[in-house]
Amino acid sequence: MSVDTMVIVREVWDTRDLVGQVLDDTGNIKADAVGTRFEPEDLNALEMALRLKDAQGGKVTAISAGEPRGVDVLREALYRGVDAVVRVNADPLALDDQALAEAYAGAIRELGSQGLILIGTTVLDGENSLLGAHLAAALDAEQVSWVDELEEATPERAVARRAIEMGTETVEVPLPAVLSVGVALLEDDPRSPRSAKAMLKLKMKKVDIPAHEAPAIEAVTKTAGRAAVPERVIETRAVDAESEAELKSMLDEARKGD
Amino acid sequence: MADISVFIEVDDGVLNDISLQCLGAARALADGGVVRCLAAGAGASGIAADLFARGADEVKVFDDSRAAAYTTKPYAKAVIAWLNEAPPAVALFGATTIGNDLAPSVAARLKTPCVLSADGVEAADGGYVARRVEFDRKVQTAYAPEKEGLFIVSLHDGAAETPAADASRTGEAVPLSVELDDSDFAARVLKRDVAKKTVNLKDAKIIVAAGAGVGNAEGLAVVQQLADALGAEVGATRAVVDAGWLAADHQIGQTGATVRPDLYIACGISGAVQHRVGMLDARKIIAINTDANAPIFKVAHYQVVGDLKVVIPKLIKVLAA
Repeated sequence: MSVDTMVIVREVWDTRDLVGQVLDDTGNIKADAVGTRFEPEDLNALEMALRLKDAQGGKVTAISAGEPRGVDVLREALYRGVDAVVRVNADPLALDDQALAEAYAGAIRELGSQGLILIGTTVLDGENSLLGAHLAAALDAEQVSWVDELEEATPERAVARRAIEMGTETVEVPLPAVLSVGVALLEDDPRSPRSAKAMLKLKMKKVDIPAHEAPAIEAVTKTAGRAAVPERVIETRAVDAESEAELKSMLDEARKGD
Repeated sequence: MADISVFIEVDDGVLNDISLQCLGAARALADGGVVRCLAAGAGASGIAADLFARGADEVKVFDDSRAAAYTTKPYAKAVIAWLNEAPPAVALFGATTIGNDLAPSVAARLKTPCVLSADGVEAADGGYVARRVEFDRKVQTAYAPEKEGLFIVSLHDGAAETPAADASRTGEAVPLSVELDDSDFAARVLKRDVAKKTVNLKDAKIIVAAGAGVGNAEGLAVVQQLADALGAEVGATRAVVDAGWLAADHQIGQTGATVRPDLYIACGISGAVQHRVGMLDARKIIAINTDANAPIFKVAHYQVVGDLKVVIPKLIKVLAA
């Protein structure tokens, strides 16, 4: 029994291993200092959808909000094997998560999905992880967060295992349902990135990406300011793993306190 | 002065520590206003006295046998009913896997602003702002509501102190009145696999933590020996718990404990951000890893590049000497 799946895919700031200042003089994020990447947990969500399709069929549709030229994640999703892509005509940086969730929900309603809706539960350190819950509320669908594994999916229901503090929970939900996917699935990426040349070819390839017009929705939350956090300055010391004397002085010093 | 409401997580009669920190933050934020708590979960009525003692002015209890295990809809409905009874300026949640699922669900249904995993919330310019450190801990962003009205914020572990109990503070808890029907319970928790708490990582002075680099049970045994030699507790990354080498109560990081020991020895831990957020505030950090480029080395005071199965026995040897 095949289940149709919609996957939300986002291009987000790449907050790994940032070097130097990331704010400009006006307190905005310096785009050239940060860069962007495919939201890694969305990539997990996409992989979950493709594995479900490989196992039992069904149609996978990837949805992303952005300008026509700003949805490389949809091209990537096509490359990885989704059946269809839809662009939501809205600027994700200009909307808050509730407005963005409404925009996505509008597209999902129009596509008439009654199946699974997958999205990444984003990490604590970079972005808000609001979108999944807001999307479920906008669709009045059931939701499960921090899903590590989809154990079962039929047209009527899904069984998912989610991470909780100190363990896991297995939850059954009727469809349609929004599952926010956590980090556990992709230890290694089986549909891994390709050469720069292949990436460029993918970018230049003419793909007709249908657009969904999003209604104007008022934001409820605003960014009231950003400030640089003083660099966490620590004295680091390389310790020779071969030298017992160095290891000993390290242990003595570290245990003694400052 | 403002009224603040706090969602209190109760699991099998045990009060969540982050919820208590939220109560402490609420007391400070209220500045003389009323602090209301909703204690939710199995055995919630049993902890009401503790909530009064630690600063609650009013306590409502949501303990529905059908909602003994958390699912979003009935909890969201209960919280909305509670917030509508006496609308506060700010509603606080602990940034747990329940709190961060529930808070945005409530906010979306009430069309009210929401910030998750904040470092704090404070009064500013006649309203409130919630702050959070982002972008690999390089930027602190302040979020504020666009309009006046309820602001929903979840606070992460350690954002506020756990308030002390004052036995002279007492009160009477009242059951929350909310109507739930069968359709609210369409989602069901089939199975719960939760580790019994056997280690106290939060109060540990020294933690020796194992990552995927331990490789197997034998590697873990080496880590355990170092912990024994130091009188330390054993921590772990998510990968080690997922591999079944240690129970989930050892886990440190995003879905585990946040710890602040005097000494943290990271063994075979690469240092993904999901782990770092749980241990970065350790006073001293020693990292042992074969990969000299592992991100853990950037937060470590002592960098030992080497195989833990070789390095740790040496450490144990010099400790015994």
